[in-house]
Amino acid sequence: MSVRTTLSLVSLSLLTTAVGCGSTLPPKELVDARAAYQSASKGAASQQAPAELHVAKQSLDQAERSFNDEGDAPQTKDYAYIAIRKSQLAEASARALIAQKEKEAAEREAANLTADQLRSAQKELSSTKQHLEKTQDQLAAEKVAREAAEKKAAQALADLQKIAAVKQESRGMVITLSGSVLFPSNESTLLPGAMVKLNEVADALIKGNPDSNITVEGHTDSQGQRQYNMELGKKRADAVRDQLVSRGVAADRIKSVGVGPDRPIADNKTAEGRANNRRVEIIVEPNKH
Amino acid sequence: MRTPLIAAALLLVACGSSLPPPSDRLASAEAAARSARELGAEKEPKAQLHLKLASEQIDQAKKLMADGDNKRADLILQRANSDAELAVMLAKENTAKAAADEAQGKVKNLKTGK
Repeated sequence: MSVRTTLSLVSLSLLTTAVGCGSTLPPKELVDARAAYQSASKGAASQQAPAELHVAKQSLDQAERSFNDEGDAPQTKDYAYIAIRKSQLAEASARALIAQKEKEAAEREAANLTADQLRSAQKELSSTKQHLEKTQDQLAAEKVAREAAEKKAAQALADLQKIAAVKQESRGMVITLSGSVLFPSNESTLLPGAMVKLNEVADALIKGNPDSNITVEGHTDSQGQRQYNMELGKKRADAVRDQLVSRGVAADRIKSVGVGPDRPIADNKTAEGRANNRRVEIIVEPNKH
Repeated sequence: MRTPLIAAALLLVACGSSLPPPSDRLASAEAAARSARELGAEKEPKAQLHLKLASEQIDQAKKLMADGDNKRADLILQRANSDAELAVMLAKENTAKAAADEAQGKVKNLKTGK
């Protein structure tokens, strides 16, 4: 009901008070009260505010009784006026209750959404944590493995240094074995003691440098024919390579080369210099990985 | 209260009415109007209108009581009461709707991830 209608109802009721009874037609207030109750009873109030609607009905009944008994008397209009307000109240009460229910539903939904978001945040956090722990575990394991490999390599080098001269050069680690320790003079068959020594070298190579390529070089002094020395160097390199392979060094990563007298490390004019030049070098190439 | 009572008592004789002054109805209508005001009826146009009607009718009833017309005053107070009670409910409706809007706004914000 609009503001204007309500105001005109009030003024109308005041006006008609002056006129008095005599009419059998229901006053406008009663017509409005019937319509107001009709509207309220058909709306949400019948479900949401049945008690208030019942009060509105009683109020309308009182207005109807007054109209029957007193006709168009002032109190008929008063009761009709009150009946209109009771119907309006029932409707307002229903709307308030619906709003209240909507609010509660929204609050429940908000609580569920908040809980969902919290759960997903916690899930994400724990997955990040797990990932982090895994990464840390992997790093720790890698560190342990690396330290073990380094220790192994250091141990292998220390072992080698006990039996041969070991130098680090740009072409790799060079293990130099004296010719007189390995072979009888002018021969390419290994001495029994040399086999033991070469086996130790092979063990160290397998342990310390399992992936490196290896070159075995046979060197001689410059006495005698160059061709003979080249062949002797090659045969001695082959003998050393074969011994290393027989001890377990992978054959596909080890090759033998005869260098002969071409790369002396000492003076060939002295007996000591020549002895130093007669040698086998095992070159362990730097690992490419 | 004292002066209207004396006036009413004097007028009782004049009008011949046997009805006592509707003090209880006046008190409850005034209480309802006060509740409406406390619930914020003045902030909502429809509630404000019915609160105003209630106040005007309470004033009118007081005058009628002063004039000794207790019977008419009683009915006017019943009207005032129905307006005041409606104002109370309209104010409650307004508050409930605002609360529902707020809660629904929160849900919307949560859904859009704010």
